[in-house]
Amino acid sequence: MTGGIGTITSTILIPFIGALLVLMVPEEFKKAIKWMTLVVTGGAFLASLAVLNVFNQNTFHFQMVEAAPWIPQWGIQYKVGLDGVSIWLFVLTTLLTFLSAIFSFYIDKRPKVYFSMLLFLEAAMLGVFVAMDMILFYTFFEATLIPMAVMIFVWGGSNRNYAAIKFFIYTFAASIFLLLGMIAMAKHHEALTGVMTFDITAIQALVASGKFWEGTGSMQAILFWAFTLALIVKCPMFPFHTWLPDAHTEAPTAGSMILAGVLLKMGTYGMLRFSLPLFPEAAMQATPIIMWLAVVGILYGAIVATVQPDVKRLVAYSSVAHMGFVVFGIFSLNQMGMMGGAYQQLNHGISTGALFLLIGLLYERTHTREFAKMGGLKAQMPIYSALFLLVMLSSVGLPGMNGFVGEFLALAGGFYSAAAGSFGLNIVMPFLAGIGVILAAVYLLWMFQKVFYGPITNPDLLRLKDLKPWEIGLVGVFILFIFWGGLYPNTFLKPMEKSIAAARMMTINEPGLRPTWTEARHEIDDDGHLVEITTRKSDGTIDETAGIRRISDNRLYTAIIPPKESR
Amino acid sequence: MQDDIFKLIWWVLALPLFGFLFQALMGKLVIDNLGPKIGRTMMGAFAVLPILGSFAIAANITAALRALPEDGRSRILTLFEWITVGNLSIPFEVRVDALSMTMVLIITGIGTLIHLYATGYMSEEKDYTRFFTYLNLFVCAMLLLVLGNNLALLFVGWEGVGVCSYLLIGFWYKDLNNSFAANKAFIVNRIGDWGLSLGIFFLMFMAATTLGVTGQGSDPRWLSYDVLLPNIGVMLENYGHWPLAAAAILLFIGAMGKSAQFPLYLWLPDAMAGPTPVSALIHAATMVTSGVFLLNRMSPLFEAVPVAGAVVVIVGCITALLGALIAFGQTDIKKVLAFSTVSQLGYMFIACGVGAYWVGLFHVATHAFFKALLFLGSGAVIHAMAHNQDMRNYGKLSKYIPITFGTMTIGWLAIAGFPFLSGAFSKEEILLETFASKLNWYGLPIGLIGFGVAMLVAVLTAAYMTRMTFMTFFSGEERWKLIPAHAGHGHDDHHDHDHHHGDHGHHDHGPDVHNFFYTDAEMAEIAKRTPHEHHHDLDENHKPHEVPATMWIPLVVLAALSLVGGGWLFFGVQLPEWLASAGVVVHHHEEIKSIPYWIQKVLAKPIFWAATAAFLLGVAWGYARYFKGLPEKDGVDETKWTGFQKAASKQFGIDGTLTWGSINLGKILGDISMAFDKYVIDGIVNGLGGLSKGFGNLFRSMQTGYVRGYAVLMQIGIVALLGYFIYITMIGGAN
Repeated sequence: MTGGIGTITSTILIPFIGALLVLMVPEEFKKAIKWMTLVVTGGAFLASLAVLNVFNQNTFHFQMVEAAPWIPQWGIQYKVGLDGVSIWLFVLTTLLTFLSAIFSFYIDKRPKVYFSMLLFLEAAMLGVFVAMDMILFYTFFEATLIPMAVMIFVWGGSNRNYAAIKFFIYTFAASIFLLLGMIAMAKHHEALTGVMTFDITAIQALVASGKFWEGTGSMQAILFWAFTLALIVKCPMFPFHTWLPDAHTEAPTAGSMILAGVLLKMGTYGMLRFSLPLFPEAAMQATPIIMWLAVVGILYGAIVATVQPDVKRLVAYSSVAHMGFVVFGIFSLNQMGMMGGAYQQLNHGISTGALFLLIGLLYERTHTREFAKMGGLKAQMPIYSALFLLVMLSSVGLPGMNGFVGEFLALAGGFYSAAAGSFGLNIVMPFLAGIGVILAAVYLLWMFQKVFYGPITNPDLLRLKDLKPWEIGLVGVFILFIFWGGLYPNTFLKPMEKSIAAARMMTINEPGLRPTWTEARHEIDDDGHLVEITTRKSDGTIDETAGIRRISDNRLYTAIIPPKESR
Repeated sequence: MQDDIFKLIWWVLALPLFGFLFQALMGKLVIDNLGPKIGRTMMGAFAVLPILGSFAIAANITAALRALPEDGRSRILTLFEWITVGNLSIPFEVRVDALSMTMVLIITGIGTLIHLYATGYMSEEKDYTRFFTYLNLFVCAMLLLVLGNNLALLFVGWEGVGVCSYLLIGFWYKDLNNSFAANKAFIVNRIGDWGLSLGIFFLMFMAATTLGVTGQGSDPRWLSYDVLLPNIGVMLENYGHWPLAAAAILLFIGAMGKSAQFPLYLWLPDAMAGPTPVSALIHAATMVTSGVFLLNRMSPLFEAVPVAGAVVVIVGCITALLGALIAFGQTDIKKVLAFSTVSQLGYMFIACGVGAYWVGLFHVATHAFFKALLFLGSGAVIHAMAHNQDMRNYGKLSKYIPITFGTMTIGWLAIAGFPFLSGAFSKEEILLETFASKLNWYGLPIGLIGFGVAMLVAVLTAAYMTRMTFMTFFSGEERWKLIPAHAGHGHDDHHDHDHHHGDHGHHDHGPDVHNFFYTDAEMAEIAKRTPHEHHHDLDENHKPHEVPATMWIPLVVLAALSLVGGGWLFFGVQLPEWLASAGVVVHHHEEIKSIPYWIQKVLAKPIFWAATAAFLLGVAWGYARYFKGLPEKDGVDETKWTGFQKAASKQFGIDGTLTWGSINLGKILGDISMAFDKYVIDGIVNGLGGLSKGFGNLFRSMQTGYVRGYAVLMQIGIVALLGYFIYITMIGGAN
């Protein structure tokens, strides 16, 4: 930290201060509150683009790090930074909040509280993705709960009380384990070094050398599950998913967009950030269990989705299935699969966010989400139906659109690890997970048919106008990303690549050969070797002319089977 | 210099894409401004021209390719890096070679004709531009499927054509049956795609581990044909026979879905719900032959694992036989052609399975000619018969629609196997190759079984096609005059029936502050603008009329191709050598180069006489049964049908069992899972949290703003925290 407030902190502060300002505006000035929120979220989005602009994609290290002591006697710091794992989630958060703020112009009930909650939520979500200190992470992680629960509680549907309390208590209870695990980690670090710290870079450095878990017995496994359980609930994964359909169904549209788009990703992000690098041996041991849970979640979520009478519940269950693909990819512990899983996080945010937006646009008009009251809308609202079709197909995972690339890579990576017989994975897994792709077509096509095809049976619908231009534009932004992500995914894959490779090597490499965030000379070269460099060029790339020492070989893939000797 | 012309291949792909975008974005604007008459003519022209342009460019590229020496006839052009992860690289690259260009010419050539036909066929359609939007997009996706140089791009095209097929089957969406058919097509195809994608993953895994993943010196394009295919031998050595066979069979499952092989053929007959030009282009000539293309492209893999070939032959045999038998029970003219397509696709796979990949593709080409012709002809018949598709209401149509009659007769003779027409050429090659094949599986002579089935199906094909032709064009009387009461409407009924003018409801959501709904005045205005379409029914006063020129010109061109196309491909193009230059495995049985030699040889060949006998036998049966009139056994009263025919009309119960079974099984599974979710998982959750018991009390206390108070409290806490962060950050900065 060399001076003033850094770019990351500023980006968090924009919505935070915005929220405080919104709270000061009298409730009567509805228009002013809405426009203020729009400007603030727009500003935060631009700020995140500025962060993206200076982001260096050639390193796996944290960038734009800001650190300051917070509660020094307990080793708690305010320390934030971004790497390849978090950069896109950071941008996705500001984008989705901005877009949901635009939709929220339809909100007329108590706008002051609503829009301040939206902005508080944004600040907290951004904090989650940049925190490098575990307690700071936990603070932001929990801070997202309040505004979301309030949004469900005040602006939700008919069963909102139950949904809000279930959402709050369920995820809150699970994260108690997270907090306890974090304290245990810090205490153990103190026992080893005499310094208590919640800084993940410091802890990971000890883990990488093998000293941290040396002679601790089953402690690693216990703490791994303490962390991972909280994250599994957040994803959510089968069988801890039942809070999600209730929360989604009752939440207002913007809440659903953000819940599906960003909040669920906090779970999978946490896996990449904590579960893998900090507990390498335990993670590798747990891989078959988690992979099976992911497979069951993919199939179960899809099957349950097919029988939902409510369009939002259907999409909620489809989220369970789609997040299953994310976890499937991440825990394949294979570069292809992990990249696919990480990328699928973004795609799910875009596609499902767009689906909830479209459902919201219709709900504003008809005030129903039941399939029985829809049907035949294609004739009445051709533009709406065309946009819905595109978003639906992206969720189906049609190639050329964003959903395909993530799913393809996640499944391919899972197949690779399973076929190689690594980590006790079974070749049956990718075959079963693949059925989820068939089922996605079943429930989504069924949904589309129910809403858009056939004759119009509900006379209310005969007076419906098509979308307004600004609504088309709003959905259009999602469509743009849907095609961008599908046709040129390298834009999004490239910045993630090094950090994902590092997360993988932090997990599967032997102690001593693992990369660490603290050792700035550690880098991963373009062929996937972990190397130690002496100098960097001005753009951050490795200077190959200077001396490079290779620490470990290419371990991007699970198995390298050498060709048989020819007889 | 020489390569410049190959760069034009991007335009072949781009033109249909531009056409699609133009139709999608400008269609409504143009038609609203120019009026339906001129607007539709213009948009129709802009739908045909991109495809025609693609065809012209592709023809030039093909000519340039032929001018090259045989071992240099493949060009790979890369546009950009599509997916790059670790050491895997999937570029957006196309491959210009004999195989891809043959398919491109079929797609764009037949595509142009069918687009032209569709401008006439769909001219009364309200959603005229929506139709061509989908159709142009289909051509683009199909071209990508055949041109892409790696399996991932093939998969993009593969699912792309699937979605276009879905949209076009469900084109007349107001009838829910059409949308069910569309869903069925997409979902059954997805089952195939499941196999295809897993096959791709399997090959990817084996290629990656074999070629090495260390990223040094090895080509990371594991999925590209030019990297993958030459290494099949090494992969076989590393992994042995069964893994490769498994990968090949998984790929074939993909082909079974798209190419409607048993048991995944179920979607194709239902797909006839789409407009007839769609049936001709997608569900007969191009998309459904993708599977044969895939087997041709991957022929080095299938060649390495004979087990996979045996599976292909067996599935092909079942499909060919089943499709032909079911065709006898169909009275809907399009359904007959649909099952005929299923059967002929089985034929192609029999050829591919015994290792005669080029013969499979040969039959793809000739089948594209005559089946597109027959479908378009049936469209003309349907057009003439006021959209009635039941052949039992036809009869003696040769008098009214001579051009359609003449061209369809050529199509009938070509598919039935009249000597020296296009169909006979490819069919005889299939018989020859199966007869000569030594393929066996655990002692089972697969090749001979294939030959036997192919012979039988040849007889059946001639028979059911004669039935269809005679029932439509001859058979005694003009039956629509006799049975006016029996007006069975087919799916191909695109008139817009439902207008609930005045029948609009009320909305009780309070005042319409957001302007979401039309006012009464606006509703009246809309009602005034919407034309009342009247529907013409088939009755005794009906007089069939010949189709306009835009529709009969394609018929004539396709008829010409059906006449001479087979011979031209065989002698002119010399298909086996041509395809071999693209890496398709070709086994030469004998060298046949010159025509006189071939005629000598052929007339002395028993296979030729056997095929001709099959043709004569089938036609004779049809003549005896249907020429004079409609027999009672095949008449309007279905209770008088034979048991076989009744069973055939119900597809021997296969479709019913599988579709009904899977839907109901799925529903039961869904309901059980839902109940499990609700009562078991949520029950535990609610019980654990003490939620269910304490809820009533909790709500009462929380209702009164407790949660809100708590929220504000937490927020204040967070404010304090963040303020502290800022404070310490500033201090940190100052130090």
